[in-house]
Amino acid sequence: MATHTFCDGVQRRDFLKVGAVSGFGLGLGLPQFLAKAEEGGLNPKAKGKAAIFVRLAGGPTHMDTFDLKPDAPDTHRGEFKEIKTNVPGVRFSEHLPKLAKVADKFAILRGVSHTLAAHALGTQYLMTGNRPLPSLRYPSYGAVVSKEMENPKELPAFVAVPSQGNYPTGYLGVEYGPFETGATPTAGQPMQVRGLALRGITLDDVDRRNNMVAKYDQAFGSFAKNDKILAGMDEFSAKAYQMMRSTKAREAFDLTKESAGITGLFDDQPFSQSCLLATRLVESGVKFVTLNLGGWDTHNDNWNRLKDRNLPALDAGLSGLFSALEEKGLLESTSVFVTGEFGRTPKINQRVGRDHYPRAMFCLMAGGGMQGGQVIGASDAKGEGPKDRAISPDDVAASFMHSLGIDPTKEYHTPTGRPVMIVRDGTVIPELFS
Amino acid sequence: MMRRFYFLIAAAVSLSGAAVAKEQLATAEQRFGGATDEAESPSFRRHVVPLASKLGCSGRECHGSFQGRGDFQLSLFGYDFGKDHKAITADEEHRIRVNLDQPEESLFIQKPLKQVKHKGGEIYDEGSWEHNVMLKWIQEGAKLDVEETGAFDRLEVFPKEFVGKKLGDTMQLKVLAHWKDGTVEDVTGFTRFDTNDESVATVNELGEVKIVGKGDSHIVAFYDNGVLPLPVMLPVSDQVGAKYPKVKATTPIDKAIVTKLQKVGIVPSDVATDQEFLRRVTLDVTGTLPTAKEVKDFLASKDPKKRSKKIDELLNRPAYAAWWATKLNDFQGNSPQQIRASQYLPRDVNLSSDWYNWVYKRVLENQPYDKLVEGIVMASSRSNPEQSYMDYAKEMASYHRDKNPKDFAEHKDMPWFWARRNLRQPEEKAMAFAYSFLGVRIQCAQCHKHPFDQWTQADFNSFKAFFERITMGNQNLAQDKGNGYRDLTNKLREMADYDPKDPNQNLNRALRPVVEKRVAAGEPVPWQEVYIRAEQNRRYTPEQIERIKKRNPNFNTRVITPKVLGGDTMDVKYPDPRTPLMAWLRAKENPYFARAFVNRVWAHYFNRGLVEPADDLNLANPPTNAGVMEHLAQGFVASGYDMKWVHREILNTDAYQRSWRVNATNEHDDKNFSRYVIRRLPAEVAADAIRLATGSSERVAEFASNMDMRMIGNSSVGNYRGRSANYMLGIFGKPQRENNCDCERTVDPTLLQTLYTRNDPEMLTQLSARGGWLDELRREHKIPSAADNQRLIVRYQANIKAARRRLVQLQATLPKKPAADKPGALKVYEAKLKTYQKQKEKIDSALRDYTQKLTELRPQPGALRELPEGAEELITETFLRTLSRYPTHKEMELGRADLSKAKDIAEGVQELLLALLNTKEFMVNH
Repeated sequence: MATHTFCDGVQRRDFLKVGAVSGFGLGLGLPQFLAKAEEGGLNPKAKGKAAIFVRLAGGPTHMDTFDLKPDAPDTHRGEFKEIKTNVPGVRFSEHLPKLAKVADKFAILRGVSHTLAAHALGTQYLMTGNRPLPSLRYPSYGAVVSKEMENPKELPAFVAVPSQGNYPTGYLGVEYGPFETGATPTAGQPMQVRGLALRGITLDDVDRRNNMVAKYDQAFGSFAKNDKILAGMDEFSAKAYQMMRSTKAREAFDLTKESAGITGLFDDQPFSQSCLLATRLVESGVKFVTLNLGGWDTHNDNWNRLKDRNLPALDAGLSGLFSALEEKGLLESTSVFVTGEFGRTPKINQRVGRDHYPRAMFCLMAGGGMQGGQVIGASDAKGEGPKDRAISPDDVAASFMHSLGIDPTKEYHTPTGRPVMIVRDGTVIPELFS
Repeated sequence: MMRRFYFLIAAAVSLSGAAVAKEQLATAEQRFGGATDEAESPSFRRHVVPLASKLGCSGRECHGSFQGRGDFQLSLFGYDFGKDHKAITADEEHRIRVNLDQPEESLFIQKPLKQVKHKGGEIYDEGSWEHNVMLKWIQEGAKLDVEETGAFDRLEVFPKEFVGKKLGDTMQLKVLAHWKDGTVEDVTGFTRFDTNDESVATVNELGEVKIVGKGDSHIVAFYDNGVLPLPVMLPVSDQVGAKYPKVKATTPIDKAIVTKLQKVGIVPSDVATDQEFLRRVTLDVTGTLPTAKEVKDFLASKDPKKRSKKIDELLNRPAYAAWWATKLNDFQGNSPQQIRASQYLPRDVNLSSDWYNWVYKRVLENQPYDKLVEGIVMASSRSNPEQSYMDYAKEMASYHRDKNPKDFAEHKDMPWFWARRNLRQPEEKAMAFAYSFLGVRIQCAQCHKHPFDQWTQADFNSFKAFFERITMGNQNLAQDKGNGYRDLTNKLREMADYDPKDPNQNLNRALRPVVEKRVAAGEPVPWQEVYIRAEQNRRYTPEQIERIKKRNPNFNTRVITPKVLGGDTMDVKYPDPRTPLMAWLRAKENPYFARAFVNRVWAHYFNRGLVEPADDLNLANPPTNAGVMEHLAQGFVASGYDMKWVHREILNTDAYQRSWRVNATNEHDDKNFSRYVIRRLPAEVAADAIRLATGSSERVAEFASNMDMRMIGNSSVGNYRGRSANYMLGIFGKPQRENNCDCERTVDPTLLQTLYTRNDPEMLTQLSARGGWLDELRREHKIPSAADNQRLIVRYQANIKAARRRLVQLQATLPKKPAADKPGALKVYEAKLKTYQKQKEKIDSALRDYTQKLTELRPQPGALRELPEGAEELITETFLRTLSRYPTHKEMELGRADLSKAKDIAEGVQELLLALLNTKEFMVNH
């Protein structure tokens, strides 16, 4: 008899069985631990071993940053001039001089396009790689990465500087959530992060407190080893203690420990220092870092705001990030994805600004085996839409996951049993990996 | 192909005479095996489609995929007969997939035999009965016969249950299909089988069950839209039947539970101690730790009825109402980020709080659950049908003004359920309604036949029809002359400082200050409202339909008659389609409404529902104890939907009051309720517990009465801005209430939670905060807190500096000693010297004093030499505040030792408090 192929897929289980618990993987939440068994692994050939996601909240204009249209009519063109970069034929805005010098380190995606012109929806789209649905919250990339990758021992897998925003984990649940620093680092100072910083106490105090908890925490006796919740709590206690004691963890957040050569690549502004912090975190084993640079919602006074504030900050921070990663030998193994939630109207509005415009936007991608120094895709003559093919946020997301060895078509089951792919509708952009 | 025969294992089955007759019905193999021309005539609906489904052809990864496979698409899980028939026979002319002249040449026949390339491989052998079914169906004209077969009635499976004796025991199932026309046939060969727990029993495609582990679960049979679960089990111990110990069971629930336990060989744990019971029940019912005094009083009481009295007392507390208003809000999807009633409203107008307050009042009054739900389901924004738009806007203003706002809880209805932005479409409304009030997940059926339940896409669409006209908007013009919303908006525009010609101005931005001021002052602003849209009798021209279909392929001009889930169609002659829906909901025959509620209450107390997941009532997912479910559901309806009846009925059982301490038979039991399953405190409860344990006596008192400051109540509702409000609640899994899933609330421990309770500045600050318990203690013992200390240090240091300065100045005033030959001058000098010395002595003394004080304030090496009086009481209080029990003798000794090592008594207690807050015993309910 021929073998039957049953394709219906979903295997059901009454409820997770309580069984003997044999060591949760450190850093894993319980369902994550229990789910590991049924999962496929990472692609070992992928170059990306960690990721940095830079969120430009508000929706940065493509027309005045990485996709200028000097030949467009006055109604569209904008005030800024183009400058040459270190990649022949690739030009940026004149207010991005430092990035122009490292243009070979990252790829510029032009003509990325979608249709959601509201901040909340656009953000959900670009931060998850899936077009938002009212009935389903998708997990952010960071949550997927902390689920898929082996978590570091002394540090959280997923750090957000200073925060991640709404719905960080979507249907995956809190155990994949970000460690939010709540603040940005200050130049030349160790960062006092919540939970890790020892405020007014010494390591001896940490030890003493840890011993004290152990002494009084005897109520469940040996049953604590057999009960999955209690055993899980003990594992997390041990890891928390290890992290609080960890020199590595503390030094990862201590910018004073950085060499002058690296520190010198950044200015002393919060975003730049966050970028510096990200390089240290990745160096120490953190798998995913979210960085934030907001203020891009330039409905009015677009050019003054860009040249006085946003572009210098972006220029210093990102150029420092790429250079420092390279200097530390981490650029190849770290996937970087820089994006806003949409572009801005090519046509200048009456308030000397630009409005929301998802039809054309830009993204930057670097590291993780993605080829820098190239422009992929193009917008049309006036920057009003993709010129030939449109790159969708889903494609960018699929490429980002692919660079990390995560199969974007891999299926998860939501808690309601619905099968959903990590990126439901994207195709890996081949040029990035050529 | 070899014929196989399966014999029933007689010991496990007892069949009635009638059933035995049905046993003799011919099997698929007997009917369709052998030579094709001798086989029976197969039916499309009864045989072809179920077989395609069973063989996986219409599965998600094969032709059931929405893209199809190899240009051939079947409806997922096969229930769209018309569509499937069309797909199979579409190319009849070209005789490719189905070739009526030469049936053997049909791709539909060749592919599964892999006579031509087939990505799905070889599905069955040539000449097998499966092959015969498909071939003969084509030979006989490949007809669609849904009309002829008529409706499916029900499934029957033999045996009715399977209790294994040992690992590896097997059992052949037999499945009968009953059709409405009276036909009964053996459909075992056409039935899809699944196990609900592959670690207990497995089942193969022939319907042979195999016991692979101890415990109990179900094997489920799927055929047409019949779904039938069959209990299977292997007792976990030899303590079954006569060997089972005597276990007392007095309540109906306990009787049902012990009956099941007896069968599965599980002996329940003993009943928990008084101190365990008190902490558990107080946390579970009121989301609050018992206070130190409550613990002392309860343990001291000799009243034999003290437990049931405590349950009644707890159910009468405001904290019960607050915690259950929050829980009901979880199920109802009260997400602050989704509710907006006007684009102009300032974001701090908290409609989510309206919702909470409205539910809180009704839970506090113990209003019948069906009435509470009616107020949400049937809600209209206007208080009565005659209310004009302006009066409505004024009424809303009265609830949201700054000074003496009226209580929204007084509003007749709670309209914000329908105002959610994630409920704009009728299908979204249908799914949310089914989730919130029925505990049923129908979302699968939006696109395809539900894989584990009876629901088809047609069922979904008929159900959706109830929700088509429920609207949140500003076009409710029926009751008014003109458009009140528009008029009010225009009026506001005139009031705003807005020049439409100025390009730098933005209307909404200009309106904002006007609206804000008016809301604060209680003046009307343009509120949208929930209402029932008038029926549209629009006729579309074919061109229009063509155009709309381009945008929306699912567009359908056919009016679908609403049909409740699993019920009959309803001739909706009502002005409001929700009227019959509500009548169905609260009818005592409703299979879901009461069950969904009691199951969720059960899940709250037992950490899993009778049906689990608790919001997934479906045919393939039966309750682990049907007796308990029926008792509670029927009792709930009979009580007039009295919510407290359900709570009392559950809380007074031994099952709820059992210890977490396990025995050899029940240590792995997490679904038969033989022990208390330890679980982490929910986010809000944990946050409140920490605040209560560290709070002053004043706060402890306030926590009992003032729910506005409680995380289990209104203060964790959040606002439109979202979750940034509270870091702790976020990492401890407070639900965002957006996904139609009870699973959004999680109580899984994570690393970030531990880092929080161990070392987060927010946590540590709470311990030593002003107005906290330790602050009280310090005042009592006159011990400055670290902050006070620092302030004093700075002050004394300044004083010392000032004194030194004065000393220098003083020295400057002292003249040189004159020569001895000038007695006049000398006398003056001596007088001055005397004054000087007096003053110097004063300053010196002050300096000594300050220096002494400073030395005392600065942390001293060393420690308390002896424990002050009252230390033991403080240790006891610390235990009562956190673990709700007295310290053991050993713990008291440890506490004394730890305290005596501390710098002062307050610091000692603080460290002990922090340690106890970090024990598992504190963070779980047990």
